[in-house]
Amino acid sequence: MIVAPENYVALSAVLFTIGVVGVIARRNPLIMLMSIELLFNAANLALVTYARAWVNNVGHIFAFLVITVAAAEAAIGLAIVAVTFRNLPHVDADDAAVLKG
Amino acid sequence: MLLAFVWLAPLAGGILLWTFGPQLRSWAGPIGSALVGASFLATCALWGSATVPGGLHVPLVSWLGGWNFGLQLDRLSLVWSLIIAGVGFLIHVYSIGYMDGDRAFARFFAYMNFFVFAMLTLVLSDNVIGLLIGWGLVGLASYFLIGFWFDRPSAVAAARKAFVMNVIGDVGMMFAIFLIVAKLGTIGYADVFAAAGHALDSGTVFLICVGLFIGCAAKSAQVPLHTWLPDAMEGPTPVSALIHAATMVTAGVYLIARFAPLWSASPEAREMAGVIGGLTAVSGAVLGCVQWDIKRILAYSTMSQIGYMIMGVGVGAFTGGVFHFLTHAFFKAQLFLGAGIIIHALANEQDVRRMGGLRTRMPFAFGAMLVGVLAICGVPGFSGFFSKDDVIYGTLASGHPWLYAVGVLTAGITAYYMLRLLFITFFGAYRGDVEAAALGITAQTSGPSTAGHHAQEEEPHHHAPAGLMNVPVAVLMLPTIFIGWLDFGEGSPWKRFFHSFPGFDAAVTTAAMPELASTGVVLAVVAAGFALAYARYGTPAALRDAVTRLRNETLGTPPILVHAYYFDAAYEAIFARSARALGGCFDRVVDPHVIDAGVREVAISAEWLGHLLRSFQTGLVRTYALGVVFGVACFVAYYALAFGVSR
Repeated sequence: MIVAPENYVALSAVLFTIGVVGVIARRNPLIMLMSIELLFNAANLALVTYARAWVNNVGHIFAFLVITVAAAEAAIGLAIVAVTFRNLPHVDADDAAVLKG
Repeated sequence: MLLAFVWLAPLAGGILLWTFGPQLRSWAGPIGSALVGASFLATCALWGSATVPGGLHVPLVSWLGGWNFGLQLDRLSLVWSLIIAGVGFLIHVYSIGYMDGDRAFARFFAYMNFFVFAMLTLVLSDNVIGLLIGWGLVGLASYFLIGFWFDRPSAVAAARKAFVMNVIGDVGMMFAIFLIVAKLGTIGYADVFAAAGHALDSGTVFLICVGLFIGCAAKSAQVPLHTWLPDAMEGPTPVSALIHAATMVTAGVYLIARFAPLWSASPEAREMAGVIGGLTAVSGAVLGCVQWDIKRILAYSTMSQIGYMIMGVGVGAFTGGVFHFLTHAFFKAQLFLGAGIIIHALANEQDVRRMGGLRTRMPFAFGAMLVGVLAICGVPGFSGFFSKDDVIYGTLASGHPWLYAVGVLTAGITAYYMLRLLFITFFGAYRGDVEAAALGITAQTSGPSTAGHHAQEEEPHHHAPAGLMNVPVAVLMLPTIFIGWLDFGEGSPWKRFFHSFPGFDAAVTTAAMPELASTGVVLAVVAAGFALAYARYGTPAALRDAVTRLRNETLGTPPILVHAYYFDAAYEAIFARSARALGGCFDRVVDPHVIDAGVREVAISAEWLGHLLRSFQTGLVRTYALGVVFGVACFVAYYALAFGVSR
């Protein structure tokens, strides 16, 4: 069964939107990091879809690159979250607003 | 090369004395004098090469292509250089005695040397730019030396006044030079005069002459720019002798004589110079009659005598005007140095009412002053007689009977006030111990800025004048008496000297009366002046109750003369007050409401902008994320709309 690329792109868009809403609406930094992972993977899905559709391997290769970056981002992001919230009573991203102008 | 030495030796002296003055101590005077003396000897050595037609010319630098700067020593600048360096040398020597013990002995000589350099720049330059540079530098030197005792407020005010007045003249001269450069494109005298004849219309020549005359009026104290000269007497007496009598103030005469080819081409400008010169001569002489400060009497007489010179060169009697400069340099320097001996010996007393009877106490000063007075009054045989006669007759010969009348009248007034000075100062009884009120001396009637300050800068010390001061005065006596004979009769050495000098052969109409008759008229008027002065100050009765008479005269002087025709008051009312009003307006309106307010508005708007931008910086990650999303959405929307989906 061959699924048309439009469906993959639509799925990618849905995933991306969920990720965006997660980053903006949630205040738990761990959820926000997970939403960011969703964003990455939505992008990956789109890349791979187009690579297949246009028979061009650049998309595949770029997806691997994104996965690598995502891994690094997760490591650094979790470390920042751990350090930041060690001194705060609640794990809430809105509490870390010391750069307010 | 020798000419460059003439020019630069005083500069070297100035720099040397300025740099090493404290180390040189009392050697500063001899060193400064020696360099000016060397300059004088070198000038004498150049006599031969300067008197050939065209004179000696030394190119120095060429700049911007066609702008050639150089030195030029022709007959006219030779006369001036000899006076500047020669009389300058004598006055330097005199100053060694006069300034002895002053705190700033070396600084004085540094300034004096600098002045001699500046004045030589003025007369030796072969182009109009160099002339302007020298013109400005002498003004600067004059400013330094008037304000030499800078801890005296009146001296500082006088120096500033002189400088401002002189800058007015500099501006006038600059416009004349701009016109010359714009119309002729050249700056050398020779080129300018060669091109002027055919390249300039008479209107332009007139404008150039007016510009030059503004410079000349400011520098040479001609009405209405004369008010700085009496105040300039705040400077040390040798400065008054050298700068404000013998040399700098006669630069205007040099200027007109130097530009004689242009002046000859503009009868209107000559008329203007003649009239203003005559006006200055008579008004200065009248004011000389009511002064009590010995230096101010001489200052007004200087103003009056320069009026003669300007009148002379103005009506086209160039040789006469220049000759009057020559004789005046000697006898006026003589008078000032004689007055300096008195002032020095009386511990800086300058008020003639506090003098009297000095003939027996200071016979040498009396002799010096007597010779000077006889010369300036034009007593036959003395130098002033010949030159003044030349100028006065020149006005008649060029067809100006009114100026002739003014000249004759001024000669009479001159005789009156100079003899008055002599009688009050040297005859009768000494009045130094009479109390001031008995003589009518109050702060109000003594000049606006003189008496009362003189004893402050030094310890009052009575001492006999040093021989060093007497020798230069004795040397000056010779030319004061005899130099006039150079110009005796038709075809005199002086007239031959300037025969065929460019521009000096102005048109001479037939005079209304022969020269001998004119001389007789002048002498009669001078004798009348003498008689009047004798009747008022010299008779035994007048000498006996001199105190009462001086008091009555002091109190009875018309206010218009006490205030020197209200020139200062008028300038105060017109220029100073309006300038202060303008400044006050700027202070109250423009500064707080335009400049300060403008700066404040910039600050306020920056603050407002900051407030606006602050609201975006919530510190919340989600706000920033929303911003990113919004930005991406904008991108997408842009590309979607711009390129669309073609299918």
